[in-house]
Amino acid sequence: MTTTQPRNEGPVIEVRDLRRSYGEVHAVRGVSFEVARGEVFCLLGPNGAGKTTTVEILEGYRTRSGGEARVLGMDPAQGQRELHERVGIVLQQSGVQQDLTVAELLEMYGRYYSRRRSVDELIDLVELDAKRDTRAKNLSGGQLRRLDLALGLVGDPDLLFLDEPTTGFDPGARRQAWSTIRSLCDLGKTVFLTTHYMDEAQHLADRVAVMNAGQIIAMGRPEELGGRNLRPAEIRFLLPGAWSLGDVPDVPCVERTVEGDRVVVLTREPIVAAQRITTWALEHDVDLGHFSVTQPTLEDIYLELTRSADENDEAKEVVR
Amino acid sequence: MSAVATSSTLRRDLGLVAWQVRYEQRAYWRNRIRAVFTFVFPLMFLVIFASINHSTRLSSLGGIPYDDFFVPGILAYGLIATTYVNMAISTSLLRDMGVLKRMQGTPLPRWAYIAARIASTVVIVLAMTVITLGLGVVAYGVHIRASTLPALIATLIVGTAAFTTLGIGITRFIPNSDAAPVVVNLTVLPLTFISSIWFPAAGMPKLLRDVANVFPIRPLADGLERAFNPYTHGAGFSGSDLRTLAIWAAVGIFLMLRFLRQPQGETG
Repeated sequence: MTTTQPRNEGPVIEVRDLRRSYGEVHAVRGVSFEVARGEVFCLLGPNGAGKTTTVEILEGYRTRSGGEARVLGMDPAQGQRELHERVGIVLQQSGVQQDLTVAELLEMYGRYYSRRRSVDELIDLVELDAKRDTRAKNLSGGQLRRLDLALGLVGDPDLLFLDEPTTGFDPGARRQAWSTIRSLCDLGKTVFLTTHYMDEAQHLADRVAVMNAGQIIAMGRPEELGGRNLRPAEIRFLLPGAWSLGDVPDVPCVERTVEGDRVVVLTREPIVAAQRITTWALEHDVDLGHFSVTQPTLEDIYLELTRSADENDEAKEVVR
Repeated sequence: MSAVATSSTLRRDLGLVAWQVRYEQRAYWRNRIRAVFTFVFPLMFLVIFASINHSTRLSSLGGIPYDDFFVPGILAYGLIATTYVNMAISTSLLRDMGVLKRMQGTPLPRWAYIAARIASTVVIVLAMTVITLGLGVVAYGVHIRASTLPALIATLIVGTAAFTTLGIGITRFIPNSDAAPVVVNLTVLPLTFISSIWFPAAGMPKLLRDVANVFPIRPLADGLERAFNPYTHGAGFSGSDLRTLAIWAAVGIFLMLRFLRQPQGETG
């Protein structure tokens, strides 16, 4: 595998106080972040949060109203050819020439790049072997999406933009796409991902930024986002009728409640707590039903973050 | 150093244009409906009208055979169909499907892509010209004359330039690809009836002739018809017709460049 090193060893993407307004509408209001080489960086956020605007500024499709943006050390607004040579883009919705076949399209687009991956290798990678000589207009939605991914990779890019890459995939195809994307990072490629799927972000991203109303409201590793790792875990189980909450031994916890016939323990020491509860249960021969220990999911944190940001905004509106 | 780099880049880009023309050609001929609409339609009209009026002579044009008038007329119509109509419909479709946006994200320079689209259209116009004139000569007794050949070629070149660029440029005013055939037919069909395509405009009211003179269809049709009219003396050049066509080519180039400068995606 021949991979040229990025010229500068600094961040692959560098964004400082990025702004974009459309008249009175401020779509992006001062966004800053960096993406390191070999990293999968994921931008999350509800519709209208400014994700697409941010990504399209970095891809060179839109201009910025203010702030700094560098992609592979270049200004994306300049539309330099060298940048296009080294960046692959998989847009959310973008068609191909309907009357050309899968192999022809990969061949045609491949020629634009001075460095390229072979048609066979790409078809293999996205598992479109059976559709090789099928015209684009006869492909299913999922097959088109896989063709999109292959076209994004045709120039063997250093940086790949993926806008909701697995929408419309069945679970098997998604797993396959994820492992393909992961394998790119092993080759030193950088991936900039936007997605609506929390499990996709959880699975792929090294770092996640949550955008809301044109600003980044949280950024970090998926397991640490919004203090997720510091949140109490939740232990839940069913207590048989003969026992009451008072019988369960004391464990280090934040809160201990009963929801119907279910006990809910919120604890920052889930291992200790679970061990004590289960030891007690075994010793006293208590059959604890549906015993589970869960951390808050990325989705819980995401919903909480975006909701509280909205509430803040509403509060501001009221003050005005 | 930079001069060397520039010339080798240019050579590579011209290679890319040639490469792209191959794929544009494949895509054009494989899309049956569009090929019929833009390529087969004019030829069908030629056969139908020429068969109906085969023995007719046109008194308004000094009694020349109908075919001498209609073969170049249909050539003008075919040229417009394969350039203006084809470009406007296919470009708005490529825009709506996001192909233009995708192309913009690749290293292929915009000018190279558009040059390939134009070159591919020229190939189609050439095929249209050869078939129309071939049918005209073989089946309808039309004569290609050496004396008017330069004027014929000049008219074809300027006409192709005008209608191809206008086809790309009009895309700005086509809201979506569903509207494309409507806009295109609305701008072409009414004008063809007052522009000497289907029948001579000689007997038409002055107002209609004045209107037709403003637009590029009449000068194209007249320029081609003059080259086949047995009464044409000399080379058959008309400065005013070529000038009108050239002005429209300039308008077309201007509109095309404005369309090209507008980044794909900024609209959304």
